[in-house]
Amino acid sequence: MGDVIKTASLTKFYGKTRGVEGLTMRVPAGAVYGFLGPNGAGKTTTIRCLLGMLKPTSGTAEVLGERVSLDGTGLRRRIGYVAGEVRLYDKETGRWHLDYVAGFRGGRGRLAEDLIERFVFDPSKRVKELSKGNKQKLALILGMAHDPELLILDEPTSGLDPLNQETVYRLLDERVAAGRTVFLSSHVLSEVERVCDRVGIIRAGRLVAEESVQALLGKRLREIEVRFGQPTEAELLAGLPGVDNVTVVGGDVLKARVKGDAVDAVLKRLATRHVVDLQMQRASLEDVFLEHYREDRVARELDPMGEEGR
Amino acid sequence: MNLTLLRATVHRNRASAFWFTVGLVLYSWLMVWLYPVFSQGEYQELLERMPQEIIAVFGGQNLGFDTLGGFMQAEYLGLMWMLIVCSAIIVYAAQSFAGEIGDGTMEFALSQPVSRLSYAITKAAGLVGYALLLSAATFVPIQVFGPRYEVEIEATVFLQLFVFGTMFMLAVGGFAMLLSSVFRSAGRAGAIAAGVLVTLWTADLVSNVSEPAEVFDPINVVSHWQPGKIINGEAIPAESWWLYGVLAAVTLAGAVVIFTKRDVA
Repeated sequence: MGDVIKTASLTKFYGKTRGVEGLTMRVPAGAVYGFLGPNGAGKTTTIRCLLGMLKPTSGTAEVLGERVSLDGTGLRRRIGYVAGEVRLYDKETGRWHLDYVAGFRGGRGRLAEDLIERFVFDPSKRVKELSKGNKQKLALILGMAHDPELLILDEPTSGLDPLNQETVYRLLDERVAAGRTVFLSSHVLSEVERVCDRVGIIRAGRLVAEESVQALLGKRLREIEVRFGQPTEAELLAGLPGVDNVTVVGGDVLKARVKGDAVDAVLKRLATRHVVDLQMQRASLEDVFLEHYREDRVARELDPMGEEGR
Repeated sequence: MNLTLLRATVHRNRASAFWFTVGLVLYSWLMVWLYPVFSQGEYQELLERMPQEIIAVFGGQNLGFDTLGGFMQAEYLGLMWMLIVCSAIIVYAAQSFAGEIGDGTMEFALSQPVSRLSYAITKAAGLVGYALLLSAATFVPIQVFGPRYEVEIEATVFLQLFVFGTMFMLAVGGFAMLLSSVFRSAGRAGAIAAGVLVTLWTADLVSNVSEPAEVFDPINVVSHWQPGKIINGEAIPAESWWLYGVLAAVTLAGAVVIFTKRDVA
């Protein structure tokens, strides 16, 4: 299968302010691609470039095999989009919005009614009367009702209760099972871990990591907990690169966080003592994510005139 | 042009369009009803006692208030009508692009399969429709209710007023739409359009009482709006048609072109 999204050195500056810089990435067909990054990292800018709402300063973007342009009507027919901050027409009802979208897309199918039922959404209310969660439901229904080939979702579960979040996850699973592709930006890392199979991490406008969620989790951080047959000390792991957060609990239990490539050295060092029990857990995506940003903070402390300081 | 978008635009502007239309119909009706009373002696005496500068503010100089044209220009079409229709038109035009971008609804609209060109042309078509509606709401009641009060306007004069009034609104609305295609806030686009209009009105006012200031008249859209003269049977100068026509065409085309090339989120 080919790539549904391809960007090459995609760059967008708002005057002197960087939105995204030199972004090169590929999203394979049928994937649920998680696009992670803190506020201001360039996630929404990237999405808006992919949708032809922003004109890139340089670089290219290709979606569903078509070069993205500001006037990509045909492309938008095949895409469903849910914005990060839902902005709809306050004075109009949900039903009005559904008819409005249906007018552009040549009618409303059964899927719209199905989504209304599954989200238990009342379309007769005006948008200004809806809670944040209900506005989000409406945006999701509007974005998904035409069964798009590619779903681009910016923080799709923002404001939703856990029950409706689960509905969203199930819907995404169903879309992917039906051969659709999902490009999802999120701050909720447990959500990304739950639904995504590939992840791209964007930092200061650049893609700093991109791999499958499993690979990312597998080769990055591990939390280890070792019980020894005699009292131990934190210094046991001193000097080993890729090891931090070393603590000793109750005199004989040592806990530490170990980067993937340091595991071998750690095990060899532990083996110099009498080990009674050993537990090793992969770190959560949240830990991996924070690790990336910790590196970034350190880099910025070392280079205060870095990108944003210029 | 996109019919779904046009329907939605009409739907979303229905309340303001309704109230502006009703207001103009009633105002026009009131004016033709009052004219026979006001054209009598006391009103004339009152006007004669007023300074020429005050009369000029209402565009009533050189017309004579005992004529229907002079009365309509001074009491209605010279200033108040401009204020009313320009408010309606500027608000619509400013909201069309800048307002939707500022509100964030443009992102929703343009995530649908509608081209920017189609979007912009539809909004411009909405402006034309709105101008025609307001023109009709102004001049049709004069034609319909006038005969009851012995106020009669020839069909050719009515037609000229209708078309020329529409052209005036399109010139103003086109300029506001051009600003709307550049800015990200309806407030800013509308305020600048209104500010320019007030400046033009002031320039016209000054030119009514100061000969050197007349130098700006040839390019001042406000100076060219002389409905009283049209009602009194004078022909509309060709340069007025050209000014409104070119301004409307250039600004609307400019707005469409700029919108198709700009960032919208």
